[in-house]
Amino acid sequence: MRVTRPRIRVRHPATAVVLLLVVLLAMPQALSTYWIDVLTAVAIYSVVALGLGLLMGRVGLVSLGQIAVLALGAWVAARLDFATSIPFPLVLLIAGTITMVLGTLVGLPALRLSGLYLALITLMLAGAITVVLTTTNFPNGGPGFLGHTESSFGNPAVRRPGIAGGDAAYFRYTVIVAALMFTLVFWHVHSRPGRAWAAIRQSEPAALAAGVNITTYKLWAWALASFVTGVAGGLLAGSVGKLYTYQFPTRDSIILLAVVLMGGIYNLWGAVVAGALMKLLPALLDNWGLPPDLLIILFGAGVLQVLLTAPGGLAGQVPKDLARLGQRLATLSGRRAPEGEAP
Amino acid sequence: MPSWQDFQPFIVTGLALGGVYSLSGVGMVVLYRTTGVLNLAFGAVGAMGAFIAWSLINTLSWPAALAYLACVGFGAAISLLYGMLTGPSLAGRDPLVKAAATIGLALMLLGAMSWIWSDKARSMVLPTTNWQYSVGEVQINWTQIIALALGVFVTLATAAFLRRTGLGTAMRALANDREITAALGVPVRRVEATTWLVSGALAGGAGLLLSNLVGLDAATLTFLVISSLAAALIARLRSLVVTLLAGVVIGLVNAMATPIFSISSYRDMTPFVLAAVALLFLARHQQISFARRSR
Repeated sequence: MRVTRPRIRVRHPATAVVLLLVVLLAMPQALSTYWIDVLTAVAIYSVVALGLGLLMGRVGLVSLGQIAVLALGAWVAARLDFATSIPFPLVLLIAGTITMVLGTLVGLPALRLSGLYLALITLMLAGAITVVLTTTNFPNGGPGFLGHTESSFGNPAVRRPGIAGGDAAYFRYTVIVAALMFTLVFWHVHSRPGRAWAAIRQSEPAALAAGVNITTYKLWAWALASFVTGVAGGLLAGSVGKLYTYQFPTRDSIILLAVVLMGGIYNLWGAVVAGALMKLLPALLDNWGLPPDLLIILFGAGVLQVLLTAPGGLAGQVPKDLARLGQRLATLSGRRAPEGEAP
Repeated sequence: MPSWQDFQPFIVTGLALGGVYSLSGVGMVVLYRTTGVLNLAFGAVGAMGAFIAWSLINTLSWPAALAYLACVGFGAAISLLYGMLTGPSLAGRDPLVKAAATIGLALMLLGAMSWIWSDKARSMVLPTTNWQYSVGEVQINWTQIIALALGVFVTLATAAFLRRTGLGTAMRALANDREITAALGVPVRRVEATTWLVSGALAGGAGLLLSNLVGLDAATLTFLVISSLAAALIARLRSLVVTLLAGVVIGLVNAMATPIFSISSYRDMTPFVLAAVALLFLARHQQISFARRSR
């Protein structure tokens, strides 16, 4: 049994670095505060998409509850922020870690289920988390464990790091943290866990026969995805300052799945595309005076188009089928499609 | 702790809601077993049907009965259309891909609904809601009775249909193995089309009832599918009778928690928690196997 290496590589590391520098240095100068805020959201949701893309593209697990995980991370970060005065990077790290632990605790029993059932149980758990958050609300400087107060005057916003108080500075800060998360995932994908995930995705029995510990590596992917999503939650808390439950609707989990599929799950760039689809496109549409509902229709059509025009594929190999979609979009966006994807 | 008196009205609402959950759950289970598609757009289809019925009544002043028929008809038509268009290309794919594709349909319908009918709040009141009578101190209306009765009737009728008729046998055969069934000469596409049609009609009916029982709101009705899905999941997408029971239990527990102050605000978790616990419990012995996975 040949354990294939993961196929996706960042082909032009220099491109990535130059792009990052341009984004960091030029964009905040050229854009208004509104667009900087939009781009901050794009960076944050790219990290969320990265987590889901990792699960779907690498391991073949589908989660329909990532927005609930994001909300969890944001909750923890906000709570820490009001309760302590530890530095912001530490807040992000702890928020990521706690989200990771919670995600793993949930994942451990859920990973027994496969495919459709796993996807549905994440949908159920996300629904449950949303109900709890609707009741407890987000911390806003109030007393007690929940840290929520009903009074709406003079509540402090979640504090931002000292070096990144302004919107432009916080945007740069967010992009750097997001780049770190991408690097973390990139590094995982290109080392031992990445190879194990590739084996699991292709065939669980074969991976088992090749000596891959399936439970450990699935759980590892789950933990990593939860961690980056938790960190993204922390970034979001700092970005918006005041958190409300309506910022994390169940429909966003579904839309996230759509944009991640459209963005392409086999390429780390796909996560950036997904983030832009989810947060930049609505802002553009709004700017052009078009109703945002058009976008939901577009996403729906995008999912269908993506799943239907992919060739029949090998039965049961969801990730392989979905990969064609990633390639297609990657090709459309002018990037070279990874070779050797066809069976 | 509230007294028994406080619970009584919620038993009625719970049973009614549970009936609709069962109705939707059965529609989803039969479709899943026959075509392999778990229709996550079930709620969106029903919601759009209800909106169309509302518009027909309130702007085109159609007779109500005709509008309700249009709602059910829309559900059946759009489901059939979707099933026929996507069926062939998705036939051999993993159930997960088929379910993901229905998310596409759900998003398209949801977007269309919030675009067309976003201007103001609406409410749908079926005439049967005004036919009320009281048992003891509890008000019961006919919509609630119809909801529960329809849930029970559809479950039993479907179960009998699957057992007794030729088409039902074909559907059960398809649920077992699509290729072998096709090889035996069963017109697979026609059987699947019929299933989509019936399941879509059930979606329309459920949407109409829910728009009255819960409210006419696109997002709410679309995502209420998750509650019905919970009932179907507890039955492991398999047993119709268990789906019925699970639906009624979910509706009842959800409603009965209302007067208990300490857990009242968490009551909407009922379907999620019950389904998650049931799924995890049922999967406790599951292992990786080389055998072909049955649906």
